[in-house]
Amino acid sequence: MATVAIARSKPGATRRPAKKGAKRGGKWSPWLFALPALVVYVAFLVYPAVSSLWFSLTDWDGLSATYNFVGLDNYAKLPSDPVVATAVRNNLIWTIVTIIVPTVIGLALAIALNGKVHGKPILRMVFYTPAVLPLVSIASIWGWLYNPQYGAINSFLRLIGLDGLAQPWLGQDSTALWAVMVPAIWLRTGFPMLLYLAALQGIPNELYEAATVDGASRWQQFWHVTMPGLRPAHYIVLALSLIDSFKVFDMIYAMTYGGPGTATQVMGTWMYANVFQYYQAGYGTAIAVVITLVAIAVGIPYVRSQTREAS
Amino acid sequence: MTIAPVRVEAAVPTEPEPVSRPSKGRRGLVMTLVLAVTAIFWISPLALLVITAVRPLADFIGNGPLSWPDEFTWSNFKDAWGIGNFATTYRNSAFLALMKVPLGVAISAMLGFALAKLRMKFRRTVMFTVFLGLTIPIYITIVPVFIMMRGAGATDSLFGLIGPYLAFGIPFEVLVLQSFFRQIPDEIIEAAKVDGAGDWRIFFTIVLPLSTPALVTVAILDAVATWNEFLFALILLNSDANKTIPVGLLNFQGQFANNNTGLAAGILIAVVPILIAYMLLQRWIVGGLTAGATKG
Repeated sequence: MATVAIARSKPGATRRPAKKGAKRGGKWSPWLFALPALVVYVAFLVYPAVSSLWFSLTDWDGLSATYNFVGLDNYAKLPSDPVVATAVRNNLIWTIVTIIVPTVIGLALAIALNGKVHGKPILRMVFYTPAVLPLVSIASIWGWLYNPQYGAINSFLRLIGLDGLAQPWLGQDSTALWAVMVPAIWLRTGFPMLLYLAALQGIPNELYEAATVDGASRWQQFWHVTMPGLRPAHYIVLALSLIDSFKVFDMIYAMTYGGPGTATQVMGTWMYANVFQYYQAGYGTAIAVVITLVAIAVGIPYVRSQTREAS
Repeated sequence: MTIAPVRVEAAVPTEPEPVSRPSKGRRGLVMTLVLAVTAIFWISPLALLVITAVRPLADFIGNGPLSWPDEFTWSNFKDAWGIGNFATTYRNSAFLALMKVPLGVAISAMLGFALAKLRMKFRRTVMFTVFLGLTIPIYITIVPVFIMMRGAGATDSLFGLIGPYLAFGIPFEVLVLQSFFRQIPDEIIEAAKVDGAGDWRIFFTIVLPLSTPALVTVAILDAVATWNEFLFALILLNSDANKTIPVGLLNFQGQFANNNTGLAAGILIAVVPILIAYMLLQRWIVGGLTAGATKG
């Protein structure tokens, strides 16, 4: 028994001074752990994303075996493409609305749920439910609700006597984009609600008591105690919503396919149409590159903060 | 939805301490009522879907979508199941999730461990590069991925999807897991090292067992994302025999445009597994998504 203990402690004792330098397994050991994920990540994400940069400089149609290098021609064409103008505008509206509205509703729900409310778990579950559904199924559900003739939304309007408001929500330029954003809001409210709910529980109750003693109104408490306490949550919610909103594709593709006409095109769907429908893979890729660069640029502060925090 | 990256600290959500402020009784009741009405409104699209799916088409057209059904039927589900090819799409989606999720969690955990607990050169650079993947939209990669898969003969094959699915899951999984691993005290690891354990042994016998909550949460969120993925499946899969649930649902939607009750049944068939999974596992999902919020 004693010999075993000695035999065990001995290598430990000699290894201890070496722990700052090479660990057991050598300096390559970390890379053995890192390699499988890094190889997959580089092969199927980094490499395709970077080679899109190359395709965006060609006139490739997506089918032919050959193509020509055309420099920045595809990018030069972007400003004169009216659909790109529509898509940029729609992306902008989409980003602003699907960040602000879900965040505000989510915060309101979180504050309400944080009070003395019965059935909290089930309420929380209900509000988060849309977030786990496939985007395509959400698109199907809402496309069905928006059906001009048999849809529940128009039926409801007729039921309460607002027949005049019943309209083909997805079928006309003036309402289509807004009609697609409603389900997006429906699905994106759950996440900020959960985050704010968790963050609210981290605000010490003494702060509210102290504020009450000082005679602060509920409104003042909200602005001077609640909101500052939620700052980390605000940051996460805004950063992730921003990153998420540039990825918009599925919902628009499945609900309107960019239509009617091109009224609901966003950069992602317009890229897809150019590549797979109009056989302008080079041009389509240029569209994707532009929006991706914007997405990366706005996402970098968040990425950096996560990297820094971890070090 | 794309799953959102947040650090996981514990998978079990702590219920809020009841805030003790005066005059809570009445206010609480009013608030509950307001929230209950909002919740009913919030869930009404799904409720309507269920009601429509269990009524005959004639009843739906005769009485309108907002009425209570005069009669009930299961036949919509039978029709939708057959025409929507759901037996096949279910099998394909389940196969993908079963292949992709364990593999993705495993390689992400390994990378996360290297970043969190091993002295690795270029650690910051690797971390930054991997996390940057969170911002990359899938559509920037579809043309090269399509060419790559065509070259490898992997178009119209579920196996062709596994690589891209893994790659787009890695940034989130690594972000969450490495931040969880980081909280494991170094002393435990040093002690194991003194006892002669190598990196692999430490990984398998200490780090992974201590991180079960994070691994489960990541696996669940990853499974949801895999089950719901649409764009890669849309461009890489052609034949009906290989379609996944989201792509199959889209086709189905086109075919059932005029059959409202059948369409409702089909949509329900597509979402019921994920809804049931969510209800059973919501503790993990909610806890995992929110645990990082307070520390942010």
